[in-house]
Amino acid sequence: MGSPSLVVSHVSKIVDDKKILEDISYTFYPKNIYTILGPSGSGKSSLLRLLNRLDESSSGEIIFDGQTIDSYVVCELRKKIGYLFQTPYLFEKTVKDNFLFADNTVSNSQMLELLAQVHLSQKMLESSVEKLSVGEKQRVAFARMLLTKPKILLLDEPTSALDPSITEAFEQFIQKITIKENLTTIIVTHSPEQAMRFDQTGILIADGKIAESSDIKSLLENPQSDAGKRYKARELS
Amino acid sequence: MNNPGMTEVLFSLILVAIAIAISRFWKINVEKDIAIGSVRSFVQLVAVGYALNFIFDLESVWLILVTLLVMALVGAQAASSRVTKIKSPFVLILFSILFGSFVTIGIMAFLNIITFEARYIIPLGGMIIGNSMNASALSMNRITSDISSNRLTVETALSLGKSWRESSALYFRDAVTTGMISILNSMKTVGLVALPGAMTGMILAGADPLDAVLLQIIVMYMILMAVAVTSVVVVELTVRQLFTVHHQLK
Repeated sequence: MGSPSLVVSHVSKIVDDKKILEDISYTFYPKNIYTILGPSGSGKSSLLRLLNRLDESSSGEIIFDGQTIDSYVVCELRKKIGYLFQTPYLFEKTVKDNFLFADNTVSNSQMLELLAQVHLSQKMLESSVEKLSVGEKQRVAFARMLLTKPKILLLDEPTSALDPSITEAFEQFIQKITIKENLTTIIVTHSPEQAMRFDQTGILIADGKIAESSDIKSLLENPQSDAGKRYKARELS
Repeated sequence: MNNPGMTEVLFSLILVAIAIAISRFWKINVEKDIAIGSVRSFVQLVAVGYALNFIFDLESVWLILVTLLVMALVGAQAASSRVTKIKSPFVLILFSILFGSFVTIGIMAFLNIITFEARYIIPLGGMIIGNSMNASALSMNRITSDISSNRLTVETALSLGKSWRESSALYFRDAVTTGMISILNSMKTVGLVALPGAMTGMILAGADPLDAVLLQIIVMYMILMAVAVTSVVVVELTVRQLFTVHHQLK
C-alpha cells in the first residue's frame, strides 16, 4: 500500500463542552477513495474541516506526508489538502477569474483542458458565474480546487447538486484523477448508492466516533457494529 | 447679530415649547424626550463653556491632551455601545480614534496649519473625534456583519490557500468605505445644500465669509483624513479579531 498520505491519530473536537468528534483514528493511503457515511450531524463535515485546518482539533494529531499538519504554513497546507464545500461558492465575475484566483499563473490552454475534464463546455471559460447552474458551479469549484495541485481531496457531498446523468461521469472523473495524480480522496456522502459505485473503503461515523470501517460492500451489506446495523436499517439518517 | 446672552437663550425656549406642542397635538409622544434633551444639552453645553474658559486661560499642553483624551474616551464608549457583534470593542475603537485624531492634529500642527493652542486644538479635536467616533462604529459593524454573513465566501478563499487578509479583502474595502461615506457625501454637497457648522459659526460671529470658507475647507480635509485613518485602523484591528492566527474564522 506504500506510505500513508494522511494519518489521523486520536483526534477529538469539543465545542462548548459538546463532543463533536471523539477519539478519531484512521490512516489514509494514496490512490484510494474513502467514502464517509453517517447520519446528519454525526461529525462527517467537522472531520473534513479539521483535516485542512479550517478548524482546530481539541486534541490528537494529524500527520500529512510524514509531518504533523501544525508544522506546515497553514495556507500552503490548504493548497495541498483541497476542500470542496457542499454549497459551491464562485467569486465574481467569470469562470476564468475563479481559476486565476486559485492560481494566477495558469494558462488559457490549461483552463480549457480543466473545463473539459469536469465535463463543461470550453466556451464557459469567459461566462459570468451568475449564469451557471448549481451543478455547473460545483464542477467549476472542483476544477478551481485542482489548480492548487492538492494531494488530498476533501469533498463534502460533491454531487448533491448534480443531476444523475452528470453524477456518474463526475464520479468517474474523480476515480480517474485519484489514480492518475496519486491522490487520496475523502468523500462525505449521504448516498450509500454513491459509496457503492466508488466501491472502495467506507467509514461510518455516528455520534462523533468511527463506528465501523471496511470495504464498502461489507460495511453496507454486513455491518458489524450496532450503528452500522441501524444505518443499514435506515434507523440512522 | 449681538452676542447672545442668557435672556436670548431663555427666549429661544419658545422654540422648544413649540416642538413640545407639536408633539402633543399630533400625539407623537416625544414631549418627555424633548424636555429632557433640551435640559440636558443646556447643562452639558454650559458646563463645557465654563470648562473651555478654564482650559483656554491655563494654556497647558497637558491639559489640552487630557481634554482630547477624555473626548476620545467618551466617543469610544458611545461608539462601542452601538457595536453588537464583537466582544470588547471599546479598546479597539479608542485606539483607532486616538490614532486617527493624533496623526491628523500632529500633521496640522507640524505644517503650521494650526497653532497648538487650546482655542484651536480643542474645538477641532472635538470635530475630528466626533466624526471618527461615528466612522469607527459604522466600519466595525459593517466588517463584523459582512464576514459573519459571508462565512462560505471567506472560507472558500481560505480553503484555496489564501490568507485571512486576502480572504477578507473585499469586505475590508466595503467596511472602510462605509465609515467614510458620510464625509465623502457631505464633501459633494457642502455649501450647496447646507452651510457647515464651523463656517456658520464664524459667519454668525462676524467673520469675513471668505475667511470662514477657508477655515471650513481645512476642517473638511482634516475630518476626511482622520476618518480615513480611523476607519482603516478600526477595520484592520477588527478583522484580526475575527480570525485565529492559523487563518481560521472564529
